[in-house]
Amino acid sequence: MNWKDFRLSFSLLVLCRLLLAVTPYVDSLELDHDHQLSSPTNSYVRLQEGIFLYKHDVDPYSGGAFYHSPLYLSLFTTVLPTSRFLCRLVWTLVDALGAWALVGIWRERQTLESSSRDTLIAAAYLFNPYLFLPNLALSTASFENMLQLLALLFACKGRASPALFFASILLHLSLHSVLLLPPFILLLLSSPHSHLVNPKFFIAYRNPKASLGTALSYIGEFLVYAAIMSLCCTTVAGGWGWVEKTWGVVLTLPDLTPNPGLWWYFFTEMFDHFRPFFLMVFSVHLLMYVAPICLKFQHDPLFASFALLGVLGMFKPYLTLADPGLFLSMYALFPEIYPYLYHPLVTTLLHLHAALLLPLFHSLWLDQGTGNANFFYASTLVFGMANGAAMVDAIWAGLRIAVGGRQGEDEGEIAVVQE
Amino acid sequence: MTLALKAIPLPLLLYVLGTVASSTPETFHEELTLRPLRDGKVISRFSFSTLLGGAIPRNPDVLDAGNTPQHYSLFPLGLGQVLREYAATELHLSLNSGKWEYDRWGYPDEQEVGTGAQLWAWIGDGGQATVDERWKGLRNALAGLFCASIGSLDDQRTTSPTLAFAPEGDLPAWPLPHHLRHATLPSENVCTENLTPFLKLLPCKGLSGLASLLNPHRLFDADWHGMSVHVSWRARRGVEVRLAFQAVFDPVRMSTDRKRDWSLQSIFDRTIPKACPIAESSRIAVELPKNEAYAVDPRPTSVQDGVAVYDTSQVNDLDVSLRWPLESVFSYPLDHPAEPLSQVSVQRTLKGTSQSRGQLSVSIANSLPSEIQAIYLETMPWHVQFYLHTLKIVVDGQARDDLLSDIAYTPPEPHGRPALLESVLTLPPNSTTHLDMEVMKSFLRYTEHPPDAQRGWDLPPAVLVNFTPGGRRQRLYTRTLLVDLATPDFSMPYNVIIMSCTLIALTFGMVFNLMTRKFVVVRLKKGEKASKEKAD
Repeated sequence: MNWKDFRLSFSLLVLCRLLLAVTPYVDSLELDHDHQLSSPTNSYVRLQEGIFLYKHDVDPYSGGAFYHSPLYLSLFTTVLPTSRFLCRLVWTLVDALGAWALVGIWRERQTLESSSRDTLIAAAYLFNPYLFLPNLALSTASFENMLQLLALLFACKGRASPALFFASILLHLSLHSVLLLPPFILLLLSSPHSHLVNPKFFIAYRNPKASLGTALSYIGEFLVYAAIMSLCCTTVAGGWGWVEKTWGVVLTLPDLTPNPGLWWYFFTEMFDHFRPFFLMVFSVHLLMYVAPICLKFQHDPLFASFALLGVLGMFKPYLTLADPGLFLSMYALFPEIYPYLYHPLVTTLLHLHAALLLPLFHSLWLDQGTGNANFFYASTLVFGMANGAAMVDAIWAGLRIAVGGRQGEDEGEIAVVQE
Repeated sequence: MTLALKAIPLPLLLYVLGTVASSTPETFHEELTLRPLRDGKVISRFSFSTLLGGAIPRNPDVLDAGNTPQHYSLFPLGLGQVLREYAATELHLSLNSGKWEYDRWGYPDEQEVGTGAQLWAWIGDGGQATVDERWKGLRNALAGLFCASIGSLDDQRTTSPTLAFAPEGDLPAWPLPHHLRHATLPSENVCTENLTPFLKLLPCKGLSGLASLLNPHRLFDADWHGMSVHVSWRARRGVEVRLAFQAVFDPVRMSTDRKRDWSLQSIFDRTIPKACPIAESSRIAVELPKNEAYAVDPRPTSVQDGVAVYDTSQVNDLDVSLRWPLESVFSYPLDHPAEPLSQVSVQRTLKGTSQSRGQLSVSIANSLPSEIQAIYLETMPWHVQFYLHTLKIVVDGQARDDLLSDIAYTPPEPHGRPALLESVLTLPPNSTTHLDMEVMKSFLRYTEHPPDAQRGWDLPPAVLVNFTPGGRRQRLYTRTLLVDLATPDFSMPYNVIIMSCTLIALTFGMVFNLMTRKFVVVRLKKGEKASKEKAD
């Protein structure tokens, strides 16, 4: 199949999504108030509130419920529309851009101009319920995912400046994307190709003469872009109050609105005396995954960033369905590990279980009043187990593939164990 | 004290009081207003005002210089000390219980009828302590003085509205401006232990004069009751403390024969034994019914404009009664009155069954033939957050967003200050204006829930300030609301911590197992020695 076929099928997929976005039935579902699909940091209703306050000369960061970055304020008061109908179209196009970036990453990994799996990968992103439902709820997590994939695409292509630029914008939308900076740098220096089967120490394929200095120059460029973005944010917000309300919010968790993540109920039930300690523990816990995963997967930095996205998709403070959704869609990029997955059926069933229980128990607790908070909390624990199973299985398969011998193991001649 | 008074002959007492009064002129006036209503109820309003002539509020700049001794004879010493300690110029405290029905009872004589405790004060800036520090001290001192939990009107309930609460007296022209602090506690209960210190602030206490009618058994049985303390300064007169008690009684309920005849004995279970000798003026005003046959007993001192006035400066066991001799049994009027008792009325409700969001709905009815400009004030604790962009105004079915202007909004801080929404609302004539706004209900931390968490949180009343044709500001209070917030399971902190941490630790452990361990291939050929081959 040549490129013309993919263009056609991709357009068809996007058209289907557009049709889904404009059906009046979706409006009646009132998805934008759903706590699974949008969290306080990426809710459309709060974005509207912030834009309204900003337009009426009230500082949206002086209090209240607005936790979005000032970049959204500047974007929606100038370029992007604020009416609901047009926003749905914009969000669908954002998702389409993310799907296109995912296909581009796949093509870079396989060094192909086009392949027969392109349509499947685009469909895996566009029709993943974990991704299109938050998109229909107009959650700004779609923007975050799109920027993440664009940054990864340019990093795979080896173009440092666009990649670091998109990464710096993403830093302002979601502080925890800074955890993906190390595999980014590694990806810029090496290649996106699959070296899972024969792992070696890190080889800077793109630039054999690269040294620590090159890496530091990339980091420096990223910091410069981030500083420029910070100055833009300060100009838009008219002060430095936005820092506490955007980055500070994910570190101090002032808003305890329920979401599918693990933080909210933990910090609801926490006594005040221990709050700062556990906030520190949870944040440092995320940092701890970066170095080991990057070291272990130094031969394949794209897989390292995939694994870290899995970690983020499970342990982020204000989680929505879109964060593990990105991780699950990126599974499509690594078909080589499928034979080595240890428990794919268990993972699928856990996800199905959680996906059915989460909205049910949420509605029982808050809308109907016949359940209590524990029901929803239990379903978030199941969701956490599902995400954990998916992430651990991916890492296992990524390491196990280096040993090989699938057939021998199936026939009972050999056994592969860990020691 | 009473024995001593009886021992000293009256002329000597008056001479002593006269000399004391001439040095710092203090005067005391008391008044009781009784108004019977169409539905058989009686509104009674006591007003005791003590004027400290020529006094000036204390300038906060001289707070550090130490207090000059103040000699009061009639002015309440406890309250005076509190005012001077925290340099408050104007103070209004009200403790009310019940919901004032504007439609059935009309406009109250004492305007501050919001349920619960409300305290607002104009405090001058200056000196070492900030306005907020002195506000905190003032709250706690008043809490001790009145045995009410006014001290819990902390940062989570204090706001500074700019338009709605203008000073009722004058503010001294000091170099630094005055600031307003306003706070409400809708869930405050009012009872005898608030009335007792109230009576202690009066010169005659509860022993003589009109204050002897304040019988707590009957007052707290009333359909609505509220006490208030107002301190203000007039430039040419001095500092005035006015203590008021307002109550709505139901004589039909209390009578044995279903008649609405009442007397002081039947309402208060007391009569006035003797007059307060220190009062410069003391009177009872009874509003007489119109278009009905009535009998009022004893003969009033004068009748002016349908109001019977009794001069009670010299009485001995006075009992005023109002009877309807031609009525055998009172029948509650089922038709609407020809003219509504209140021309502007406000209703506020919180709609929605979900514990995550709701809708705040306010409807204001204007039955006057002219347009009114009113100030709408909403101070909402952070538990309920407004979505201001969803505010819609509908008048008789038509959307009229132009009626709301000059919106001043201070967003709330989670676990901190309340939201303040103050705006100027234009009410079209003969219509009902509906304001609807979506709100979000917050999720509180474990330690922030009160012990009876399932009861819900009381939300303070909204205030509508409109300007009467006479130029007076009239404040209308809506009812307080009860919001039901989602509660976590209070028995589970340990369980939640261990379960969440177990999941995190298991995932962490599995991932780091994979990171740190090596894979080893073990050959399982039958009969042969197993040989190890290191592979990574």
